[in-house]
Amino acid sequence: MRRVVETDVCIVGSGITAAMVADRLARTTNASIIVLEAGDESIPLSQRPATRDRFRRYGENPWLGDHLEGYEIEGPLQSRSMVVGGLAMHWGGVTPRFTPEDFKHKSVYGVGTDWPISYDDLDPFYQEAEAIMGVSGEQGPKDLDVRKKPFPLPALPLTYNLQLLREWASKAGIAMWSQPSAKNSVEYGGRPQCCRNDTCSPICPIGAKYSPDFTWNSLRKGGKVRVVPRMLIRKLVLDPATKKITHAIGTDRGRPNDQIEYRAKTFVVAAGYTWSSHLLLLSAQSGAETGLANSSGVVGKYLAGHRNVGGYIDLPIRLYPGMNEQHSLLSQQFMRKKGGQFIRHDLRVWESSVGKTPRLVDDQGNVMLGQSILDDWRQRTKTGTARVRAYYDIIPDRSSELTLDSTTKNEWGDPLPKLAFRDAPESVALRQQTEDSIKALFETMAKAGNGKVLRTNVDSFQDHPSGGCRMGDDPASSVVDSWGRSHDHENLFVVGAPTCVTGSCANATLTFCALSLRSAHEIEKTLPRKS
Amino acid sequence: MPTLNRRRFLASLAGALPVATIVRRAHAAAVAHLASEPAALDALAEVVLPSVAMGKAAFAKEVESFRKWGAEYREGAEANHGYGTSRLRTLGPTPMTRWSRQLDDLDAQAKAKHQKAFHEISLAERGDLVRAALQGQRLDRMPSVADASHVALGVLAHFYNSSEANDLCYEAKIGQQTCRPLAQQARKPLPTLKLSER
Repeated sequence: MRRVVETDVCIVGSGITAAMVADRLARTTNASIIVLEAGDESIPLSQRPATRDRFRRYGENPWLGDHLEGYEIEGPLQSRSMVVGGLAMHWGGVTPRFTPEDFKHKSVYGVGTDWPISYDDLDPFYQEAEAIMGVSGEQGPKDLDVRKKPFPLPALPLTYNLQLLREWASKAGIAMWSQPSAKNSVEYGGRPQCCRNDTCSPICPIGAKYSPDFTWNSLRKGGKVRVVPRMLIRKLVLDPATKKITHAIGTDRGRPNDQIEYRAKTFVVAAGYTWSSHLLLLSAQSGAETGLANSSGVVGKYLAGHRNVGGYIDLPIRLYPGMNEQHSLLSQQFMRKKGGQFIRHDLRVWESSVGKTPRLVDDQGNVMLGQSILDDWRQRTKTGTARVRAYYDIIPDRSSELTLDSTTKNEWGDPLPKLAFRDAPESVALRQQTEDSIKALFETMAKAGNGKVLRTNVDSFQDHPSGGCRMGDDPASSVVDSWGRSHDHENLFVVGAPTCVTGSCANATLTFCALSLRSAHEIEKTLPRKS
Repeated sequence: MPTLNRRRFLASLAGALPVATIVRRAHAAAVAHLASEPAALDALAEVVLPSVAMGKAAFAKEVESFRKWGAEYREGAEANHGYGTSRLRTLGPTPMTRWSRQLDDLDAQAKAKHQKAFHEISLAERGDLVRAALQGQRLDRMPSVADASHVALGVLAHFYNSSEANDLCYEAKIGQQTCRPLAQQARKPLPTLKLSER
């Protein structure tokens, strides 16, 4: 059966960036908005304490069934989650901003590509995103932490442990402050104050951490948007004459024989770094033979992210692990380099119990039982451990890409994506030096506290992935303009993560949200405004 | 005609029923076995846990919590999926069947060596049997509960992964992963009550 649904705005995806766009458009326009999500509804807040309990006790997925079957793909997929609310249902809620240098690598360091926007262009949208989510934060030193307005919520207080670790970092000459987080330091948005359940990722059992379902619940309750779960969008269809998108073709996973056409004035692809490019490539058709919005050939290219160097430092400080292990200190001191070599990274410090956990065998090789395990544990916890980690910046190569994998298809016969992350030659050349310099920093920090680096590790996985539909002023080398509007199709927007030019060295979700809100401000110009 | 004991009953199931049903029934039989004969597990926990430092009430609560953990384990349940991979995982085979068998083995060894049940021999004798049972097991780290290759390790892992154990170690009211007032995290955790004050 074929059905046609008409709307003003059709949003593909229901993750955090889709929520930002829908929220903005619902506030400022009278447009009808439909949101299409391939996954199921996420479990309601009332069930989260119970599923968290199963997660803690057994390691079970607290978001049962939050994925589509048969989507095992080649390459490092960030997460299998596909559900109303997207990956941000289980994010850590960490919300640092990028720094001004992130937007002008070419100008400052002579490598990579400048973004078509500056930090100042994005600042108002950072503020708007922080207000929607309810970000708790501490103003860092003004020269390191640039912002034009205070955080909407007071900072999460530093734990006793983090206060001691901040003193230690300052001895090494490093300014650190409370990591901004979308976790309520006070009641906000109808959600309670954080009570340190400390399982923010994967699940906050009380809703103190922002997740997109809160926005969807509010918008749906007010009748402002229609969210359709289990609706897999398989193709966007083009009018070859106007080059505009006319409709999206969806398959209802519950009724796979039905084909639904969603006709809209404006289409917003808000499906993250993987599924946005994937949909555009799947939508190859007459007039767009290599995929929609792909006259540049750049759709799926320049996947970005950042690797990290982590470590554990034994310090002669009595810490009490377990006070709030997911909250950290942050420094952006090493991101604010004003030129020179392109070696830049953030720095975070957490309390940790690594090296201080109970053990079964003592130093002499004797198996311990009963009181002796506890005595041994108490002896070894008289000093503390700091966990340190630095995400470092990487210039993505054009061949860092998502392609269609003709050998692996979903149950509807569509090829699944294949992911491969690759550094540009500039970053390949600097990789060892970057990682060595971060390890040297850890050694300096250890020395400043009369401590010892227990171990370091380099994670090969690129975290907080983005790109695939990079923004730019030149249609020959980018997919969308700085507003997320496709160069090729005037009523098609791609928002959030896919539009990023680079991945920075900060957790990027807040930036994805700010970019999406900036797109929403542009989209609303084409829609009937509220009086 | 020989008595149909638990092991023979399980073996007889194997030829007749689908695997999932056999697994479910074997798990249920192991859970029932532990519930009906609690003395051996209590006696084991008394040896491997810091039972005196914990205090009677906390010790009893912990052993009960371990039993409950085993009873509520769901083999094949969807595991939390990690970042950076599209691979999904499920929980592995129930550990209850091997743990139940291992408790029976400890009991059998106690009877062979001391002519008494495991729970009737002294703490030191129990400790010797447990140490012998742990020979050849991987002991370089505290395992996760479900991965504990021996019931003694399961009991240890369950306790030492708990907030209660963390507080006992640090002798402080940290309350790891429990709901606690946010403002209090800025202060050094209060000391826990001494056993005599509890």
